[in-house]
Amino acid sequence: MSDLLFQSPLNKAELTSPGGNIGLTDESATTKILVRGQGPAVAYGQSKLLPNGTLICGSRPDEWTFLAGPGKSAEVQAGIDQSEATTIVDITHGRAMMRLFGPAATQALAKVCSIDLADDLTPDGAVFSASVAKVTCDLVRSDSQGIQAYLISCERSFGAYLISAVADAAQEFGLGVPAELSLH
Amino acid sequence: MIIVPCPHCGPRNSVDLRNCGEVVNRPNPDTATLTEWRTYLYLRENAAGWVSETWYCRAGCRRYFTIERNTVTNEIRDQS
Ligand SMILES: [Zn+2]
Repeated sequence: MSDLLFQSPLNKAELTSPGGNIGLTDESATTKILVRGQGPAVAYGQSKLLPNGTLICGSRPDEWTFLAGPGKSAEVQAGIDQSEATTIVDITHGRAMMRLFGPAATQALAKVCSIDLADDLTPDGAVFSASVAKVTCDLVRSDSQGIQAYLISCERSFGAYLISAVADAAQEFGLGVPAELSLH
Repeated sequence: MIIVPCPHCGPRNSVDLRNCGEVVNRPNPDTATLTEWRTYLYLRENAAGWVSETWYCRAGCRRYFTIERNTVTNEIRDQS
């Protein structure tokens, strides 16, 4: 899979706000490896950042998602403990992913997601699944230098709609939304 | 809005879950009569009050679990 040219359903969108209050970028090229069965010691709802930059997410009670930079599928898979009961699937091409970040990210996400995004329930590193603008998504709270950020991923075919819907929610916080991404 | 307590995800808005209806015991398909099987498939108590229900955590952990819900007040309590 890793030798296929990756084509993002989100067209490498990069949306910002003039004051840096909020931003939304396409992260679809992120390597995403799904592991089921026997997996690493990362509990459901939590994540663990490895020294090499791979983020292991406890996505479901017996399911993990390994996230790494673009084109790292083989490298990530080679590092997974492959016991008999484990399924490993590269889902990089099947999922759209975006990053919503900035001081207003939580407020914007709260408009379209029913999860309680308070810091004590979804702290930095929290992994959760929920509907975002009615699309079932996997989310990771992934702050950078103390600034709130969320990785939001969904089925590839919903990606174009979802980035428009999230951009729409973020617009009132200053996000500049180009006409081709406007919901209206 | 109904808040449903998922044993894995914690309290969730019911729109992120699916109500799979009353818990009904499946008869043995090898020995059940046609009437028993039809009862299992189609007939429900539809009680006004506490009912054991199966819910599916559709947008969360994707697990099925059982709770008791009061169909009159929508109060929910754990099966245990
Ligand atoms: Zn759940």
